[in-house]
Amino acid sequence: MTTPTPVVTPVAALVVRRHSRPGLRRSGLATLVTYVVLVGLALVYIFPFLINVVTMVKTDADAAANPLSLVPDPWSWAALHRLFLNSDFPTWFKNSIIITVAVTLGRVFFDSLAGYALARLPFRGRSVVFAGLVAVMAVPGVVLLIPKFLVVNQLGMFNSYSGLIIPLLADAAGVFIMKNFFESIPESVEEAARIDGAGAFRVFWSIVLPMATPAVVTIIILSFQGSWNELGHFIVAANDPSLTPLTKGVAQLASGALSAGSQYPVKLAAGALMTIPVAVVFFIFQRRILNAAGGAVKE
Amino acid sequence: MKTHRWAAVMAAASLTFALTACGSGFGSSASSASQTPGKPLTILIGSSGDAETTAVKDAVAAWSAKSGVQATVRTASNLNQELAQGFAAKTPPDVFYLSADAVAGYAANGSLLAYGDALSNKADFYDSLVKNFTYKDKLYCAPKDFSTLQLVINTDLWTKAGLTDADVPTTWDQLSAVSKKLTSGTTTGLVMSGEYARFGAFMVAAGGNLMNDTSTAATANSAGNVQALQYIKDNLAAGDFKTAADVGAGWGGEAFGKGLAAMTVEGNWITGGLKSDYPNIKYKVVELPAGPSGKGTLQFTNCWGIAADSQNTEGAKALVAQLTTTDQQMAFSKAFGVMPSIKSAADAWKTANPTLVPFINGASYAKGVPTVAGSAAVVTDLNQKLAQLRSQDPATVLAATQTNLQALIK
Amino acid sequence: MSTGTVTTTPAVSARRRHHGGIRKRDATAGWLFTAPVIIILGLFLFIPVLMALWVSVSDWTGRGGPLSGGVNFVGLDNYKALVAGGLTTSDFGIALKNNLWYVVLVVPLQTILSLLLALLVNREGIKARGAFRTAYYFPSVTSTVAITVLWLFLFSTTGAINKVISFFGGRGPNWFNDPSAIFHFGATTGPAWLTSGGALGVTWWDWLGGPSVAMSAMMAMAIFTTSGTFMLLFLAALQNLSPDVDEAAEVDGATGLQRWWYVTLPQLRPTVFTVVTLGTIGCWQVFDQIYTATQGGPAKTTLTPAYLSYSASFGSQQWGVGAAIAFVLFFIIILFTLVPRWLLRERKPRQFRIRKATS
Repeated sequence: MTTPTPVVTPVAALVVRRHSRPGLRRSGLATLVTYVVLVGLALVYIFPFLINVVTMVKTDADAAANPLSLVPDPWSWAALHRLFLNSDFPTWFKNSIIITVAVTLGRVFFDSLAGYALARLPFRGRSVVFAGLVAVMAVPGVVLLIPKFLVVNQLGMFNSYSGLIIPLLADAAGVFIMKNFFESIPESVEEAARIDGAGAFRVFWSIVLPMATPAVVTIIILSFQGSWNELGHFIVAANDPSLTPLTKGVAQLASGALSAGSQYPVKLAAGALMTIPVAVVFFIFQRRILNAAGGAVKE
Repeated sequence: MKTHRWAAVMAAASLTFALTACGSGFGSSASSASQTPGKPLTILIGSSGDAETTAVKDAVAAWSAKSGVQATVRTASNLNQELAQGFAAKTPPDVFYLSADAVAGYAANGSLLAYGDALSNKADFYDSLVKNFTYKDKLYCAPKDFSTLQLVINTDLWTKAGLTDADVPTTWDQLSAVSKKLTSGTTTGLVMSGEYARFGAFMVAAGGNLMNDTSTAATANSAGNVQALQYIKDNLAAGDFKTAADVGAGWGGEAFGKGLAAMTVEGNWITGGLKSDYPNIKYKVVELPAGPSGKGTLQFTNCWGIAADSQNTEGAKALVAQLTTTDQQMAFSKAFGVMPSIKSAADAWKTANPTLVPFINGASYAKGVPTVAGSAAVVTDLNQKLAQLRSQDPATVLAATQTNLQALIK
Repeated sequence: MSTGTVTTTPAVSARRRHHGGIRKRDATAGWLFTAPVIIILGLFLFIPVLMALWVSVSDWTGRGGPLSGGVNFVGLDNYKALVAGGLTTSDFGIALKNNLWYVVLVVPLQTILSLLLALLVNREGIKARGAFRTAYYFPSVTSTVAITVLWLFLFSTTGAINKVISFFGGRGPNWFNDPSAIFHFGATTGPAWLTSGGALGVTWWDWLGGPSVAMSAMMAMAIFTTSGTFMLLFLAALQNLSPDVDEAAEVDGATGLQRWWYVTLPQLRPTVFTVVTLGTIGCWQVFDQIYTATQGGPAKTTLTPAYLSYSASFGSQQWGVGAAIAFVLFFIIILFTLVPRWLLRERKPRQFRIRKATS
């Protein structure tokens, strides 16, 4: 049922059947050790983020003197104050929202359209297009850094929202996901509609796409994450400060644009705040993400 | 059949679309853009902080009001990158900060307008600054300000070590001795950034430098340079000198401000940095001790570059002329501590900044950084080795730099 | 074990062929539907690659576009500059050395760690599996920039990591400012037979020195952020395994370790291959972290080919060399993707001795 792809984790959820094992017992000690290791590692993974959030409300001196402590002493809003009132953070946030929403909507539409065509519509050259997509997925992003700038520049899209958004509007991996999903839908429903005379787009829009909710949600999540966290493209596509999105803005902050000293609370606040939307999306959809990616586990 | 035609049409459409867009690039050459008098100007600066940004914005606004030409100031987060993007896109800012080591590269590919020779106050600029911005015998831009390196001393730690004004070092041996006296606990006598932009002051004082004054010959492997680096290396080994990285600071000023250094070698920008970040440090500025060849230090300078592709070069030139007047330069100096690039403003500056006079005295014996195209990369490579000077042989390091610099002079 | 099949029944295809009109409309619709994706990917992926190829064999210096007049074809000059000696070559050599060590150390470590996490989470009798999965996967969701900023704080001289080290009585280094190579173990100069020769302008002593302390901090960040994603891949594979084979092996007397090595692990081969491939491709493209945190420093020890390509172009105006570096990187990535495929290829199945135990 599932087709694992090299780049994208399996789409459909797996259901695991666990056989009962009457003859095999796991020793209690082994389980205890396992728990200890799991909890220890989980702490290692979570603690940095706790430090991040707490340092937002510490003073610079406190952050330098007590980096591990989870209790600010004293509690200080100075970092957040500086971030919201004395920097372009609100502009960066606004730009990131605009770009991410546009890219997510665009990708959902274009990727599902192309995925449907590749899965269901026979046309000469379909395999060529498919092979081209696979090839394109192999190109490393860094090779494109300079030339994308050159193309965006030649097309006159430099320093504009279109330059930031349009190149991100389609991605091969998303088309792959949609294609795989559409192939797994039984054809009978579509066949019925086609015989009744519905055009390809009608079938796609009204019948097949509503059935593709799991895949569409996956695309939404991946596009949101991908465009929110993108950096390289934004570096080269624009340098107008009013068009700077969060990743570029926070990167500038980290390399010292706002301050000469090492004002960590401000920088960490920026990093934490830019992570919150993605974290929220993650937690809301986490069951779906983890199921789509790793298989459902009966708990 | 139909699908084949569709495919062909689709492919042709994309290709044509792209090429016609690219076609706008065909036929354009290195000549300057068409002029539109009165077109609004964009100014791109690489600011050191809020003080500088505000000062420049005020100056430009005042000129705008007087001349009637609109102008907007933008701060760059990464000046070199944004300039490169602007030039490649043929939409560069009209006026921008340009550092001495970037001039040759942009002049060579035709991005800059060589307006310097026509400046009315050209004779008033310091000679060494003019040399920095001259490429192929043309002055490409007006120096906007400059800074030199001198010795900054923490007066509290100075008196605590039992030193007086008479102990201010005037030779290298005295510097080592004083530094040894000031080293105690977590404080080191002298801490500076471990790079050419600081060690170079000693190289000049020993009669050397990486290149000659006009950056046409490489002198990296001269005996003076080797002597200077050996001197620093010996003191690093003895523990009397340390680099900023050694003590965990980002630059000499940070080490100085945190009390990790009793002395540091820095430029006049340190005044602003100390005032905002470490206001409790009391310090004085003295001239660097003389080396084997006498006094020497490094100078750093930027100029106002004008893009060849600017569509209002007359406006740009007028703006630059205004920004380099005595009054305007004195205003900049008051705001963020730089020194004016014109000789006629020197006295006014000395009167306004009596404690910083050593910096401007350095103008008479300061040398600049290399300006030949590609030298920035060579200096970065040199800095990589200087960061580990303790384990390197100065002669070998400088020989490699000499080879690299000679490869650039063709 | 995990293979996919796409089902298209012959009956359906046959039915399609009868409806010529629908087929023609389908073809048109097919092209129309894929057109946006083709145009966008063509314009912003395919054409840029062609343009970069042109820049890498031209002498474009950065003014106007590379297709304007005055830009000349110079053959392989830019590529030759990467091996001809001089500053460009040694920069390229240093970048290659740094990235090579990065890949060689990060890929095995992250593969092993993610496999370990998957095995632990998958064990029988573990409650709150979902919570653990979330904890390990969360770092992968955050942006590189945010994590890098956090890392700069944790690994600063007075940061959390050094605080923890001090609890054990040690003194942590100034991580992101320390250029010493970890496999030099504090030695400042190497033996003459290693420092005399070299390749690409970098001495053998430096090649063997391994990553610097600063680069090691970057490596820790990479492992931290990617282990969660790969853990999920391994979890999916583990849950796809039928327990029957494992049970049979246990009944036949294989110990836990033997079961794991001869039964479980071979079945995970495709996933291991996927993880190693994805990890390698990702590691060779390290850019965002370098741009945000160190910009190639200290002392060029975090310079990578990707960052060098960017800085040579946008910083030093050497657009041709920058594009050449990008393409060499492309070839290196392809090479490193094909080699594991060859190493992990399916060999003839071993004759399991366990089979004889059916009596």
